[in-house]
Amino acid sequence: MDSFSQVILDGATGTLILALVALGLAVIFGLGGVLNLGHGAMLTLGAYVTWACQMHGVPFIACVPIAAVVVGVIGLLFELAVVRHFYDRPFETLLITYAFYLIATQVIQIVWGRAVHNIPNPLPGNVTIAGASTRVYTIVVCGVCIALLSLTWLVMYRTSVGTRLRAMLQNREMASLLGIDASRTYSAIFATGAALAGLAGALISPLFSASPDMGSLWLVRSFFVVIAGGLGALVGGTLLGSAVISGGTDVFSLFTSQVFAQTVVFALAILILRVRPEGLLRKVPAR
Amino acid sequence: MTSLDPAGPSRRSFLKTAALAGVVAAAPLPLLSACGASGGGSGSGPIRIGVLTPLSGPWTIFGKAHLAGFQLATDQINAKGGTLGRKWELVVADSKTDSTVVTQQANRLAKQENVDFFAGTFTSAERNAAAPVVTAADKLLLYPTFYEGQNQDFYPGVCNPNIFMFGSEPSGQVYPFLEYMLNKHGKRFFLAGSDYVWPRETNRLVKAKLAELGGEVVGEAYAPIGTAQFGGLIEKIRNADTDVLFLSVVGSDSVAMRQQLLSSGLKDSLTVWSVGNEESSTSGIGPAASAGDYASFDYFWALDNPKNVEFKRAMTKKFPGTIMNNVGVDMYNAAHMAALAIEKAGSVETAKMRAGLEDLVFEDAPQGKVTMRAEDHQAALPSFLAKVREGWTGVDDMFEIVQSVDQVVPSDSTCAKLPLRRP
Amino acid sequence: MSFKVEVSHETASRKVVRARRPRRGNTEDLLATVLFAVLFAVPSVGDSYQVFILPQYMLFGVLAMSLCLVWGLGGILSFGQGAFFLIGAYALGILSTRVSGSLGVWLGIAVGIALSAAVAGALAYFLFRARVRGSYFVLVTLAISTIGGVIATSASDLTGGFNGMFISRVQLTVSGWGVDLASDSTSYYFVLALTIGVYVMLRWLSRSAFGRVLVGIRENEERAEALGYDVALRKTLAFSLSAAIAAMAGAIYGTEAGFVSPSLADVVFSTSIVLWVAIGGRDFFLGGLVGALAISLVSEKLNSAIPEYWQLLLGVLFLAVVIGFRRGIVGSAILAIDRVGDRR
Repeated sequence: MDSFSQVILDGATGTLILALVALGLAVIFGLGGVLNLGHGAMLTLGAYVTWACQMHGVPFIACVPIAAVVVGVIGLLFELAVVRHFYDRPFETLLITYAFYLIATQVIQIVWGRAVHNIPNPLPGNVTIAGASTRVYTIVVCGVCIALLSLTWLVMYRTSVGTRLRAMLQNREMASLLGIDASRTYSAIFATGAALAGLAGALISPLFSASPDMGSLWLVRSFFVVIAGGLGALVGGTLLGSAVISGGTDVFSLFTSQVFAQTVVFALAILILRVRPEGLLRKVPAR
Repeated sequence: MTSLDPAGPSRRSFLKTAALAGVVAAAPLPLLSACGASGGGSGSGPIRIGVLTPLSGPWTIFGKAHLAGFQLATDQINAKGGTLGRKWELVVADSKTDSTVVTQQANRLAKQENVDFFAGTFTSAERNAAAPVVTAADKLLLYPTFYEGQNQDFYPGVCNPNIFMFGSEPSGQVYPFLEYMLNKHGKRFFLAGSDYVWPRETNRLVKAKLAELGGEVVGEAYAPIGTAQFGGLIEKIRNADTDVLFLSVVGSDSVAMRQQLLSSGLKDSLTVWSVGNEESSTSGIGPAASAGDYASFDYFWALDNPKNVEFKRAMTKKFPGTIMNNVGVDMYNAAHMAALAIEKAGSVETAKMRAGLEDLVFEDAPQGKVTMRAEDHQAALPSFLAKVREGWTGVDDMFEIVQSVDQVVPSDSTCAKLPLRRP
Repeated sequence: MSFKVEVSHETASRKVVRARRPRRGNTEDLLATVLFAVLFAVPSVGDSYQVFILPQYMLFGVLAMSLCLVWGLGGILSFGQGAFFLIGAYALGILSTRVSGSLGVWLGIAVGIALSAAVAGALAYFLFRARVRGSYFVLVTLAISTIGGVIATSASDLTGGFNGMFISRVQLTVSGWGVDLASDSTSYYFVLALTIGVYVMLRWLSRSAFGRVLVGIRENEERAEALGYDVALRKTLAFSLSAAIAAMAGAIYGTEAGFVSPSLADVVFSTSIVLWVAIGGRDFFLGGLVGALAISLVSEKLNSAIPEYWQLLLGVLFLAVVIGFRRGIVGSAILAIDRVGDRR
């Protein structure tokens, strides 16, 4: 059953990579309430910073955190300058982040050109697990994803920061009474989400290369992860949503055409939204 | 016309608002009247050429070479004083990799910019979109890309008397090397492509030829443009026990596809033959995911002949850092051949230029000799099969030519009406 | 600028707007009259390309107005309008080639409208009943676009797939009488009349009882529900009607442009509809119309003058407008005119 274990492995790695990509979006949407249409551009930015950094002779392992920091800082500046004035108007934040997407994508092309840039695989070679094969680097990226998700879970449920964040999610006014500086918290959330997007972009760049439109390809899929995973249930929701979207597409496309598989999975996500508007894992409505 | 409040505003405020309203509503007017057309079909002004090229969207990676090829040739033509004593002037329009935009922009170039002829469009879908416009305006379109051949009258962009094909079609790009690949790498072919006309039609023709040669098609699959995950497709390829994976996946999708093929571990157990991944997309795929794979085109940067050496020198000087490919070179050839045709015909008038292009031979192409077949406006081109070198570092050492044909006579087109003439 | 100040500012301006409602309506209609007069004059002063392209932009304007209906009036942001536009165009393309004569054309338009309205209605009712709203509904409409594009791409036997579909200019005739869209100037005036018709209809709708309830739902869904209105049903009707208008615009666009491709359903096109409406001003149908017309014209100019930088400029402009003129350019202009009128 080589083929079976291969499907399982590909499904698992696909799920984790999508979860990694979607995590930044889920953080900004779930905690900040902003539907970040600029998420795709942040991914792209992360990949390009990684590529540019490597071109200057910096080793890949150092470029990844640099990309995360650079994109995080850009996100922070954008939040401080623009987004923070619009938290009470979700549609406006959506438009603003779309403007960010338009501007960032174009700046990327002007600065770095339009060519697809290949980022060499830092860990060449394949690994075989129970008869199924994948790249060593893919396994490492999945490991990083698991680590990040665990860290997010720890921060959210085992630290005082997490308690405050959850308090703020439940009741904004109560949180401010408790002395939580909402403004700073939102800045931090946005910057963290941006940094996560940059980190994801950097990490997936050796797998998919850097091209100016790479972000829009992932953006829609990430949105579906958020649909299926639901608001608030950050770690479990993102993981489950990714499994539905990524694993679902792969499994369905084994039996039918790729196109039909994609349609079925997207329809499935809408169905999940209808049955469990707050996500697969969430039982209590957020509001 | 519009329903106003029955009570109506007072006369004074009406006048005031109307005046302000006029200012607001008239704002778009300058946009309408801006941009007057100059040049035109006859006369002594510059010859205006509308170039439709993807400068944004997923196919921008090809747009650069596409445009650079035509611009370099235009510079060379203008350096010699243009054609018929008239300089060439390019009017570049961004197709945004969107066929709908192509229709719109082609109309603009024809109706507002009064271009004398068109060059470009990148994919078959874009060419098809531009076709009704060039037909209506009765202008020529010089199309540079490798494509599916002219076997279905259904689309307006094939068997069109106003379109000339400077790129190769499957009988030129694929047929010459099928036997070599069969004998060397095995009979079991899996055909995988992006879901649109070029891959589907190419695979249809390849299937027919394979059957003739004793090969076997063990699978055929198409992924919609914009696919990021190829896990399911790769499993199908694995389960089919494939010898040769014949790939017509294009653009960024092909980058994802081949990266995932490498990570699935399947790459080592089969041979990849791509008919879509030239120098720029192979740069994106990277050395690891492309090493040892084959590609076939009518031109490779790696060609070692004096014409190409000269071309590469000129290109590197004018557009340093541009990754050139067969489409860019065919744009280059299209410009030079159009110049020859205009000189020969003594006019840029469509009918005369068409006659001038027919049976035209261009000896100075970077890949060898190019002949424009009169009957169906299909170029007869050289063809090459190349193998990707292990651990290549750039376009200079990326491909190694393993097979070459000096000039392929393309299969006859099956248009309803041949030769292609305007009714 | 603190959160609370913003809220009170919003409420205050809403009150003012409501108090001034009749006058605001007049200003919008007056400006619209001027716009239509200008458009009416274009064929006699413009070149042949303008006569060719403006009807397509006007149809984008109709599409934008369909978004104003759900977004401005009903508070439901939709990224799915492109998909309905596409359904309209494909239905006309498919049926006008397969069913001969004027029957095929009318059937194409009718089927497109009915199918869009039905799909939108079914999906909206399905979700609104479950109280799916706000950002989640935005995501669903994004899914509609994506699925629409995927189906259009993959059902290549029917739609031509990625290659797109070619639609010839049709004749809209009933027993020999009607318009032949083959001529650019005939179709120009036909589309202009259609645009005016949709504008008038939507303005009337917004002032009707249905329109007022829709605004009530936008302002406070729970209150509307408590007052006994079937909120889900009304939102569904609005969404469905908006899809029908989008489909009608799409059908005429298909025959005007002569070509449709799945790109009309993709995220980029659907977000640009949102962009037109936001920049123009979502509270006003005129805002959507002008936004679509002006941005399409500007984009096209930038596209030819500075192809590589046009999108950057558009993004910067868009950001500036969203930050600076929250009611959009046309919306701000209308309010400014009213304010000037009040002061005197």
